[in-house]
Amino acid sequence: MQDRFNSENAFSTTLKRNRWPLLLAFLSLLGTVLFLYFFYDYATDIGPQQPIPFSHRVHAGVKNIQCQFCHPYVDRSKFPGIPPVEKCLYCHNYIIKKFPWIQKEHEYYNTNTPTPWVKVNYVPEFVFFNHERHIKKKLACEECHGQVKTMDRLKENRFFMGFCVDCHRKKKANLGCWLACHN
Amino acid sequence: MDRRTFLKIAGVGGLSFAAGCTSQPAKTLYSLVHAPDDMVPGMATWYGSTCRECPAGCGVLAKNREGRIVKVEGNPLHPINQGSLCIRGQAALQGIYNPDRIKTPLLKEGGSFRSVTYAEAEALLHAKTQEAAKKGKDRVRIVTEIVGESLLKLMSESLHNWGSGEPLVFEPYGYEALKEANMQVFGLEGLPSYLLNNADFLLSFGADFVETWLSPVEYARKFKDMHAFNGSSKSLFFQVSPYESITGANADVWFSCAPDSESAVALGLLRESVRQGKVKSLPENIRAVIEEISAPYSSDKVSELSGLPPELLQKIYVHLHTARRPLILGTPTGALGTSTLQTNIAANLLNLVFDPALSLIDFGNRQRVELAARRSEVLKFFSEVGSGEVDLLVLNNVNPVYALPPKSGVREALNRDDLFVVSFSNFMDETSELADLILPVRLPLETWDEYGGKVGMVSTLQPTMGSMSAWPNLGDLLLRVGLGRQRPYKNYQAYLYAQFSLNGTIQDERDWLQALENGGIFGPKSRMGRPGLSLSSTFGSAFSAPPRHKKAELVLLAIPSIRFFDGRGANKPWLCEVPDTVTQVAWQTPILLHHETLAKHGLKQGDIVQVESRWGQLEAPVYESPGVHSSVAGMGIGQGHTAYGRYAEGQGLNPVMLLPPELEPRSGAPFFTAGPIALKNTGRSIQLAHNDGSRIQHDRKIALSVNVSNLAYSKPHEGHGLSMWEYPLVLPLPGAYDEKTRDIYPPHQHVDYRWAMVVDLDKCVGCAACAAACYAENNLGVVGEQRVVEGREMAWLQIQRYEAEQRREKITFLPMLCQHCDDAPCESVCPVFAPHHSKEGINNQIYNRCIGTRFCSQDCPYKVRRFNWFKWQWPPPLNLQLNPEVTARTKGVMEKCSFCIQRIKDAHNRAKNENRKIRDGEVKPACLQTCPTGVFTFGSLMDEDSEVSKKVRDKRAYQVMGYLNTKPAVIYLKKVVQDI
Repeated sequence: MQDRFNSENAFSTTLKRNRWPLLLAFLSLLGTVLFLYFFYDYATDIGPQQPIPFSHRVHAGVKNIQCQFCHPYVDRSKFPGIPPVEKCLYCHNYIIKKFPWIQKEHEYYNTNTPTPWVKVNYVPEFVFFNHERHIKKKLACEECHGQVKTMDRLKENRFFMGFCVDCHRKKKANLGCWLACHN
Repeated sequence: MDRRTFLKIAGVGGLSFAAGCTSQPAKTLYSLVHAPDDMVPGMATWYGSTCRECPAGCGVLAKNREGRIVKVEGNPLHPINQGSLCIRGQAALQGIYNPDRIKTPLLKEGGSFRSVTYAEAEALLHAKTQEAAKKGKDRVRIVTEIVGESLLKLMSESLHNWGSGEPLVFEPYGYEALKEANMQVFGLEGLPSYLLNNADFLLSFGADFVETWLSPVEYARKFKDMHAFNGSSKSLFFQVSPYESITGANADVWFSCAPDSESAVALGLLRESVRQGKVKSLPENIRAVIEEISAPYSSDKVSELSGLPPELLQKIYVHLHTARRPLILGTPTGALGTSTLQTNIAANLLNLVFDPALSLIDFGNRQRVELAARRSEVLKFFSEVGSGEVDLLVLNNVNPVYALPPKSGVREALNRDDLFVVSFSNFMDETSELADLILPVRLPLETWDEYGGKVGMVSTLQPTMGSMSAWPNLGDLLLRVGLGRQRPYKNYQAYLYAQFSLNGTIQDERDWLQALENGGIFGPKSRMGRPGLSLSSTFGSAFSAPPRHKKAELVLLAIPSIRFFDGRGANKPWLCEVPDTVTQVAWQTPILLHHETLAKHGLKQGDIVQVESRWGQLEAPVYESPGVHSSVAGMGIGQGHTAYGRYAEGQGLNPVMLLPPELEPRSGAPFFTAGPIALKNTGRSIQLAHNDGSRIQHDRKIALSVNVSNLAYSKPHEGHGLSMWEYPLVLPLPGAYDEKTRDIYPPHQHVDYRWAMVVDLDKCVGCAACAAACYAENNLGVVGEQRVVEGREMAWLQIQRYEAEQRREKITFLPMLCQHCDDAPCESVCPVFAPHHSKEGINNQIYNRCIGTRFCSQDCPYKVRRFNWFKWQWPPPLNLQLNPEVTARTKGVMEKCSFCIQRIKDAHNRAKNENRKIRDGEVKPACLQTCPTGVFTFGSLMDEDSEVSKKVRDKRAYQVMGYLNTKPAVIYLKKVVQDI
């Protein structure tokens, strides 16, 4: 009993004696958690920062612009195409033309610089994905790219073989290594 | 636990460790500011242009992907090359993307170059022209490579404005002797085309028409039109020359004559034709001269001079006499002795004797290279420069310092202090080094121009890609500097348009666009009429002093190279890496010696000898060659640069250093021979960078040939046994499996297609265009000399060369690539199933699965698998050439021919869009596409009516080492040989 009491006493004494180091430890832990909460989780999960905070939610969702309007080659080429700077300005010469980010787009246009959009969808270098075939098979864009209409900034998406093969199996599509994806 | 699971688990530890470290830097996407009408990302746009790698002027289509060209292919509409291209044409890309290209103008100050802006350089050029023009007449000169009519005219106009005469057209291969012979016999100083395809007997005195001679792609095609087995017989081709070029290797018989004795053979044949009364139909005066000049050449005399036995000469004559449409071709460019002019005159006369209508010589279609100045004029020009008669010398893409023998005085002339030299070269070559101002201009594939390989032909050039630097177009530059303010055209494109409108080539804008789209205007309109020939007997004077025929111990012959041409190809890594097909040596320039010469000097292959002529000396590695006469030492022209970029500098040797600066006096041709030469063993030796394991086949049933007379009897696919020579042809189809006798594995079932290739050895001339096309299409690594010595070359397709065991000068070329076996040995040994059999029969190599055990390579009997020992480098901007449709493999991965799977997938894509099956012949692998002679056929064996299915039923069909029961899908057709 005495021992327990003593030890409790000893514990609080130790606590008191190490008040400052403990506080420091607690604060740094808190700082780390907050840092991770705000920067790690937050900043990576919404995808990389783009040169212009383009919102797919506004364009594809709210304004209901079809994907093909900006990605016009998706049904006739391997790549869907990224809109050239002039295309953005077709509309934005009239819509929110004084908005600072639109001004930045003008700057790209005037300096003849393609907008450095950051890549978010990755397949490995040895995979040759062909958009045309998938669109012609009436696959909706969302089936691979998710609900883009609800996302402001696109999340980084790395496609892995399992994802492709699952679907190819389900739909009885081509499973030949070279004939389908690799070469 | 099976081995796959084991490997998965074993891999987990390493993977999880590695995964923690990966962090890929963010990449930006490919996007544009303006979207051009003719560009869809991911799809190729093809632009028509004209190849300017040699004066032949083949049409090309350049494949543009996202603004850069990744491949050039022959233009199928172009009359010269009809869709194919040679090895040099394929490598034109490596000029565009060469890492040693000069990006800004360079001005020499105090012995070293400093970079200046284009505006400064142009202003300086302008000031210098004005300054020189003020001093008097002919103070400004231009030396140019052969260029199109429009550019030549613009140069003339500019020079006129500067008070000077015509530009000098300099081509190291000027065909002086051939031109002079045509002048003397036909009264035409030009270079007509030859209709090889219409001949039934071809005799050449060394003309290397497969490699460099006049128009190699065109003549390779026409030669095989004539010479390929036609189902029952085959025409004959004889070559008489002191060395066996690639062209000579394709002859039915190569007659090895003593150097400088071709004329004796030709005159001996003429004498025989006189004796047989063949000259009766000729005009009296010509007949008399022929009789006179040929009289001394009895068969004994010819035999004594040439070393050919009289009965062989008689055989040549009999074939010439009995042929219905014989064609006789002269010598290669450059004099190979004092009698080269006589040889060409005699060849022309033989044509006249045996075909008085000259129906096989197309005088209406003349080679544009006939405009090139003779070497005598070139030397005279440079002696004028050297004596201070010129203030400003402008050089357009010429390298006379390299191409002319050192004692020619060019270097001294260019070095004069009072001479200002401007070079438009893109590379720091031997000549540019001596220039005072280097003003690089755009290369042909980036520029507007026009160049007809035949006089009067309209063939256009247009920019096939955006420019990577601010290089101006040469035409624009000349318009600004040469015509000045009075110029009526806003740019060179407008100038071209005006030229075409003026001479009636085009009527309106639409014709112009049509011409650009087709790569030119090809029709009967572009042909010139046949000029009237004025036969005269003046040629007799060429024989007034009989050739000396002095017997030299050993003479050197400098051989024009199919890979480097006159040396301009030496800075392109593909051309260095693809070995010379006759010697199989890459990167190096060996000296070719006969085994008797080796024995005499106590040498063996690989020894380094000191070669000394009166004019110079060098040290060269020895190659033991059955393809040179015993008194000849042969060396290829093109390497041994002292400048010209990292791939050319100090690589190989330049035999021109040993050549005399004097000329053959009657034709003004340079000597491509030096003699006598002395050989001295240095006691050192190196390993030659050759790709052949053995020169002979050791009876392993690899490159087979069949005598034309035996073909009548042989049954298709003879043999039913299991021994090597009785083994039947087993197609890579399920029906061909025979589980009772030879198969233990079950057959592969194929869906819709079973891709296969037929390779007709009878058509292969060994030009190696296919090998270069494969490098371009499939992102093959270039490994360099040292790695080739180690046997680590990466070629997916090799032209192998096999010498006959008894008569070693008889050569068979065999394109060797992955055989896509149905029972592939590689597939069954891989622990991770990286080689994998597809449902369309192709042997896939899955790069990301490969762990680099190299078991497959060990097990492959054809040795076509290539392992990446290193991460190969493409120094920027060479990396821009990489085909975006093919993975660039990395270290530790096995790779091999894929039958150009990316092209098969493209065909699938098109077929699916049009809801049909892939048509026969729709898939064209890169090798097939570029082959000038149609060696390859590609298609599906599941289609009974496809070309490949028809050809595998040919009597000549066989499989390389088919007795191993690998069931290759590459089926070869035996080469057809004939005895004489």
